[in-house]
Formats: sequence, C-alpha cells, structure tokens
Amino acid sequence: MKMTTVVLGVIGNDCHAVGNKIIENSLTQEGLNVVNLGVMVSQDEFIDAAIETGAKAILVSSIYGHGEIDCEGLRGRCIERGLENIILYVGGNLVIGKRDFSEVASLFKKMGYDRVFSPSVELTEVVENLRQDIARLA
Amino acid sequence: MMIAACLDIGSTWTKGATFEVDEERNSVRILRHSSRPTTVGNLSEAFLGVLDDIATDNPLPMIRRGLMKLQYSSSAKGGLAVAAIGLVPEVTLEVGKIAAQSAGARLTQVFSYHLTQQDIISLEARQPDILLFAGGTDGGNSQYILSNAQRIAESAIECEIVYAGNRSVADDVKAILAHKKLRVVDNLLPSFDEPSPEPAQEAIRTIFLDTIVKGKGLDTIVSATGIAPLPTPFVVLEYARAIHEHVPGWEEFLMFDMGGATTDVYSVHRESPEAGTVLRGIPEPKVKRSVEGDLGMRVSAHAAARVEGAARRAALGRADVNLDTLTDYADKLIAAPDYLPGNTHEQVMDTLLAGICVGHACSRHVGRWARMYTPEGEVKVQTGRDLTKISKVIGSGGWLSRQAGFHPSGWFSDHSIDARGRNVLVPHQFDYYRDEQSMFPLLANLAREYPRAAARAGIGMLVR
Repeated sequence: MKMTTVVLGVIGNDCHAVGNKIIENSLTQEGLNVVNLGVMVSQDEFIDAAIETGAKAILVSSIYGHGEIDCEGLRGRCIERGLENIILYVGGNLVIGKRDFSEVASLFKKMGYDRVFSPSVELTEVVENLRQDIARLA
Repeated sequence: MMIAACLDIGSTWTKGATFEVDEERNSVRILRHSSRPTTVGNLSEAFLGVLDDIATDNPLPMIRRGLMKLQYSSSAKGGLAVAAIGLVPEVTLEVGKIAAQSAGARLTQVFSYHLTQQDIISLEARQPDILLFAGGTDGGNSQYILSNAQRIAESAIECEIVYAGNRSVADDVKAILAHKKLRVVDNLLPSFDEPSPEPAQEAIRTIFLDTIVKGKGLDTIVSATGIAPLPTPFVVLEYARAIHEHVPGWEEFLMFDMGGATTDVYSVHRESPEAGTVLRGIPEPKVKRSVEGDLGMRVSAHAAARVEGAARRAALGRADVNLDTLTDYADKLIAAPDYLPGNTHEQVMDTLLAGICVGHACSRHVGRWARMYTPEGEVKVQTGRDLTKISKVIGSGGWLSRQAGFHPSGWFSDHSIDARGRNVLVPHQFDYYRDEQSMFPLLANLAREYPRAAARAGIGMLVR
C-alpha cells in the first residue's frame, strides 16, 4: 500500500527544533512518510512541499506564542493554490497568556484548521486522528 | 609524454591547441595554437583547418593510430536549447533549471503548474532541442504531470522529451507520450529536500551527442576522427570540478565566462552555515553553473542595458553616462556584433556593459539572507549559496580575458542589497584572476583525459 505523506514544520520566526524532531520520529515510527521542513517555515513553503509530495495533511507547530498571527490565512492560501482538500492540523503553545484551551481550539478551528492540539497531547492520539481524517477523505 | 589536441567550436571562433602532457610530473606545455572563424554552414571546415594548424604531422592518421589524443567541445548554434517544465517554481522547476544549466544547456522557456494552451503554443512556435519534463516527488503529485503529459501529447511538439518527474506515473507518461521522442529517467527530486539532477543531466548530454551533433558538419568531424564532442559549458563545469579537486588553495572559487550573447557563471562551493543561520529552500549542488541569456557584451547588449534597478543607476552615475547614450551604443552593437570601441568614450561604455553583466549575473547566481527577529534572538535566514567569503574569482571569455584594468569588485557591491532589502551573498574580498590567453575552454577539454595536469596548468596560466 502507498505510504501516506504528511508535511511537518514549525511556522513563522520560530526556531524551536527539538519538539519538531520528536514529532518527526514518532510519526515515522507510526508508518507515515514525513516531509519535515524544520523550523522557520513560511506558509508558502508548507504549501509548496504539500503540492510536490502529494501530501494528505499539513501539520503546523508553533511554540513561541505568535501562532495566532503566523497561522492565520493558511487555509485560504491552500485553497488559492489548489489544495482544496488538504487536512490542516496545528499544535503547540499557540497563544501567549493563560487562555482556556477550548477557547484557543475554537479560534484556530475558525481559521480553518481541522484539529487543534495542546502542548500536552499524546502523539499517538494525533496519529489516530490523522488516520481517521485521511480515511474520511478517500 | 603524450600529445593531445583540444578544440572548441564557438559561435564566432573555432580555437585549438596541442599540448604536451607529462603524466608523471603532471605538467602541460602548449605546443601550438590557432584559431579560425567558425564556418557556420559546415562546422567541419574550420575545425579541420585548425586541427591541421596545430598538429605536428598529418593529424587524422595520428589520432586514429593513438599517437595524438583528441578532445573537443561545441557551443555553436548558441548551444543546447532546453525548455523546462516543473510543478512548483521554487521546487521541481528550480531543480530542473539547475540540472539543465549544469548539463551545459541554455534555458529558453520555463513553465510551472498546469501547461496552458498559450504555453503549448509558445513551445510549438519556439521548439527547444530538449523539453525537460519534471514535477512531483516519487509517490507525490501526479495530477499535474498527467494533465501536462496529455497536453504535450496533443501538441505539435516534436523535440526530444526527457521525463524526470514522479516515478509512480512514469509508465502512464510513457503510454501517453508513446508517439513522441521520449526518454524516461529517474526523478530529479525523488524525495523533498534531496535533489538528484544527475540522471536528467546525463540524458541531456546523451541527446546532445545523439541528435544535436547531426547536421552542420559535426557528424563529419565525428566520422573523420572517431571522437564525439561535448557541450562546451558542460566541459567547463567539469573543469571547475577538476580545479577544485586537484589544485591546493582552489577548493572554492567563482568563475565568469562572458561572451556576446550570454554570461555564464560557475562556482564551486560547499555550504556550511554558521550557528544562528537557518538555511531554507532546496539544497544546491557543490558545482553550479548558471547562464544569463539577457546579459552579454554584443548580441545581448541592449537587454543588458535594460535591466533596471539601483545597480544600474549607481553604475551610470559613476561613469557619468546617461541611459540613452548607453542604449544607443547597445543598439549599435547589436547591428554590428564584431564592433570594437573606436575611442575612449566607447571603451567606457564597454566597461559599463561588462560591469552590468558581471554584477547582475553574479547577483542571480548567489543566494540571499535576511535578518529575522525571534524570541530567541536574531536569526539569519539564508536561501541559495553564500559566496561572501570566496577569495578567488576568475574572468574568462573574450572581453574579460583581455581587460587588464577591470576588477569586478565594485560591480558586485552595487548588488549587495536587493530590491526586497535582503543581503545578496556576492563575494566581498577576493583576488581577481584573468584567463589572459583564453585557454580555459581548451584546457577543459584536456581535463577530460588529464584532469590533474590540466587543472594545474590552467591555474598556472592565470594572471592577476
């Protein structure tokens, strides 16, 4: 069976590299083909990689608190560039201050992300969700 | 001791030299050299003439009996024209462009995403020698490729097609383009961030040998000598690699070959970013060639004078020449490509054109960096190659070979910041060398057989 490809990276001017490597390793062990763009990735770089590799999902991380600014508009940009059906996930320390996570989740869902993850999420849960969402696409 | 004859067929001159090579001491001595105007209708006339001039005895029997080696290259007819199709401009199209240019080709047209009806019309109207067709990583996107293959299938495009895209649909592409002249090679981007341009380059060179060589008298040369030519820019690129490998102190350098129609830039450089620098974009090869079809001293003079920007303003200001004067001079050159400056003022204009070409070609060849502020502090984000610390630059090709007074440094620094405010990674402090006797294309041919000796000889002949 063809391996499922996902694009992974840390968005914006964020250079937190450690968590990104951990996510890459976990997802690879789960049998996914991970295209890891590393840190400081722009919205267009995520989309470029997803188009070329035929990825089913883009997994965006943001650790440094500017997620709200960096992540806004990615869904629209995907549609503009022909990725109508791509799955978008986002996770990390998405906002600054102590805001309730459900509030944060609904903020990012409104931006068009299919799922929003808190920093404490189990990666196995992310993979489980991915499998379901991809199956629903097919 | 071995005698080798090396020739290069250019669009205006056919040049040649015989070398005596001492393989043990890795030394090279020039025995004879000669040049004749290229006989455009039948390239073999000037070629065989030059070969006679440089040989010590009747050359063809000597070559056949192995008493004299022969290697030669050709850039006649403006070289090899390649049109490249990729998917995303910054990804597979970028790798395709580098692959074509490093194989010695000149890019005539580039296309990304879906080929439109208009794209097909322009390909049909200006058919390249080779269409390099890429897109998608292995197992990646296939929709765009299949749709583009369909468009090509329905078109009147007759040139050679090299497919170097997503391997998963290679068989489908083969079936769709069964009635075309198609070669399928390995993907030039099999996985993201791991470009593999070599199979596509190899295919381009093979096609050069198999088909481009036919006609115009190159086939006559092949049957008379039993030896096939290579594209000049490819031979020079491999020569740059030989210099890198065999000459101490020349591990990294930048080289220009500027002619009437194009400016070619070669660099050998390995990227090793400092701490605090983040590299973005597709990794580049160690030895890279880029060629600028709108930058040249004669045929392309008008286009070169027309490249707008702060660099041109600075250059015109320094020379105290206004733009109209420069473009008028450029028009005169296009009408008479053999023209040589008749007075000091025209020499100033020639220098101005050369500086503009060298500056722009360098700026397009190198990478960029921009400062970004993160909560962790300042970070440099770099794309492309950083040649700021390159300490050696070579000038070759007619004008650059001859001009003792010219130094590219100021022309590079005109480009140190681009229109988007990014730093352009041009060399800062370097020694400038000239290939005064224009021996590089010939030594590049010699290097195919004797890389170490030819590399050392070439560097030894440079003047500061």
